Amino acid sequence: MLKRILAKSMATTAMIAVSASIGFAADIAVVGGKNDDAFWNIIKKGIDDARLVVEANGGSVNYLRLQTYDNFAPDVVQLIQTAISQGVDGLVIPNWVPEAEDPAIKLAIEAGITVILMNAGGADKATELGAINYVGSDEYAAGVAGGEYFAKNGQTKILCVNTVPGAANLEARCKGVIDGITTAGGKGEQLPLPATSFGDPTAVAEAIKATLLKDGTIDGLITISAGDADSAAIGVMQASKIESVKLGSFDLNGAGLERIKGGTQLFAIDQQPYLQSLLAVTLLASAIDFGTDLPTRPVLTGPGIVDASNIDAVLAGVSAGAR
Amino acid sequence: MSGQFSFGSLLRRPEAGAFIGLVAVLAFFVVFGGLSFLKTAGVASWLNVAANLGIVAIPIGLLMISGELDISIGAMVPAGSMTVAILSGYFGLPIAVGILAALGFGVLVGLLNGFIVVRTAVPSLIVTLGSLFAVQGLVLGLSVMLTNTTSIPLTSPAWAKAMFGTFIANQFQVIILWWLALTAVYVFVIHFKPVGNWIFAMGGDKVSARNAGIPTERLTIILFVLSATSASFVGVCQAILFNSAQVSSGMSFIFNAIISVVVGGVLLTGGFGSIIGIFFGTITFAIVNQGIYFTDFDRNWSSLIIGVMLLLAVLMNNTFRKMALSYSPKKK
Repeated sequence: MLKRILAKSMATTAMIAVSASIGFAADIAVVGGKNDDAFWNIIKKGIDDARLVVEANGGSVNYLRLQTYDNFAPDVVQLIQTAISQGVDGLVIPNWVPEAEDPAIKLAIEAGITVILMNAGGADKATELGAINYVGSDEYAAGVAGGEYFAKNGQTKILCVNTVPGAANLEARCKGVIDGITTAGGKGEQLPLPATSFGDPTAVAEAIKATLLKDGTIDGLITISAGDADSAAIGVMQASKIESVKLGSFDLNGAGLERIKGGTQLFAIDQQPYLQSLLAVTLLASAIDFGTDLPTRPVLTGPGIVDASNIDAVLAGVSAGAR
Repeated sequence: MSGQFSFGSLLRRPEAGAFIGLVAVLAFFVVFGGLSFLKTAGVASWLNVAANLGIVAIPIGLLMISGELDISIGAMVPAGSMTVAILSGYFGLPIAVGILAALGFGVLVGLLNGFIVVRTAVPSLIVTLGSLFAVQGLVLGLSVMLTNTTSIPLTSPAWAKAMFGTFIANQFQVIILWWLALTAVYVFVIHFKPVGNWIFAMGGDKVSARNAGIPTERLTIILFVLSATSASFVGVCQAILFNSAQVSSGMSFIFNAIISVVVGGVLLTGGFGSIIGIFFGTITFAIVNQGIYFTDFDRNWSSLIIGVMLLLAVLMNNTFRKMALSYSPKKK
């Protein structure tokens, strides 16, 4: 029964594929987040730029976006099935909900679709499913890069401020920072803030100020989000330690970029979503059309460090919608 | 009142329990955190948090005294900061326009909350739960539609900084002065004007209050406008102080404000409480929340200590209220 449906769908697949493009070049579907999710609009910029290459070779790229996040897992699976029924040759898919998505992704691969995991999943998952690669970032590696950057800049004791203690990806960020600075010979510790402080910038700033005043050896500070860095900047100022405590953050926002440009923030760590979609789509198209095989696994698009040395280019990227 | 000072009658005032709770938590953190908690930086640490929270907590307390609740403040704080950041930061309009628009939006949401609560029989918790999500969604949607981002930088002119978002002596947020001034106004209006008694009467028994000629509907609407606008005002001050606004912040204000109000001696069922009590309750909450950073406790235990301390403060308060309410002077 299943085989018959599969065979049937593969037949229609082939027909649609033939009618969809003149040549036999790659038709690619990319699954992504909502229209009003800023992150996925940067992803869109990468897709749009990759599309130029794919279309030049006679292929096409279709960006399938979730309408809402309310019915998340079923909607993602539905988009995978849409891609299968459209008869695409390649699929770029974030592995957000493995237990729901994995069967659908396997079905896509059985249907002859070449798959790349992007943004969520990891290299091991890609191997397990039969996807050709994983393109995305690794929170722990990003943290390690942050810790090492502090060490390179001369800081010896780093505080990682975690406003949502217990969230696995954020814990991984702080753990990475602490391991990074420890390996380089310094020290690091996490400051977990209680839920009563989350979303109250004054409470976060005051907590950071008090911690800096209590422990005078801290000379570096990193926050798990860009918004928290706004609070941290005030906390550092209130502790009168702008000179002696350097500030870093995960992710970017406008105020943080201004601080980096103005010299009151040392750096920010970016997972560079633009590269995720740009690389995933072009890698996939090239693998399908020309049989290329990239030995690098996984393809890490981050961490990218934004500091005074590249701030102007990053700001240009922000206004182009790529950062 | 006899007019002469009596320690006993002072203890029986509604805010006495709240004050003693405050002294107790302060003593706790001085013992475990040392005297640095009472020095300038330490005092600023909890006063700043208390001021931001207190401006919202008082109108929430009044609503609770009158038998209502407003949880849409969780969305109004970021709505206020995003309104001023989008208008004055992103579009470059004068900061006064941004501030007025933010406050105006607060009035609007407050009116809506109030009208719906008064006109329908839906409990205010549910009505404001609806407006909480609606305002959150509106702010997120508009922010992305207009600016394509959810975090907006804001550079304010010197006068706006000085009035709403600067530090006095490099430590104390200027919002503390707003908080003290507003508290004074509330104390005057609530405890020395008939309106105050009306609000207590509404919380005691709304039907009887209306039958007695108290304009309960108008008062309810005014209280909702006050709470939404106050939350928006705090958001504006935050955006100006931190030079930035985010879509996703402010939810903690809901619980924190209610906790402060209850620690301050207001009954969850309404009809009992005082402005000074809420004032002390807010400071108590801020001390408990920030005091932990002056101690040597492992930070992973923060929430546990906060919870236990707040519970103790409320229990102490309750004991005193019972003593106050059951007191009868000795026959002479």
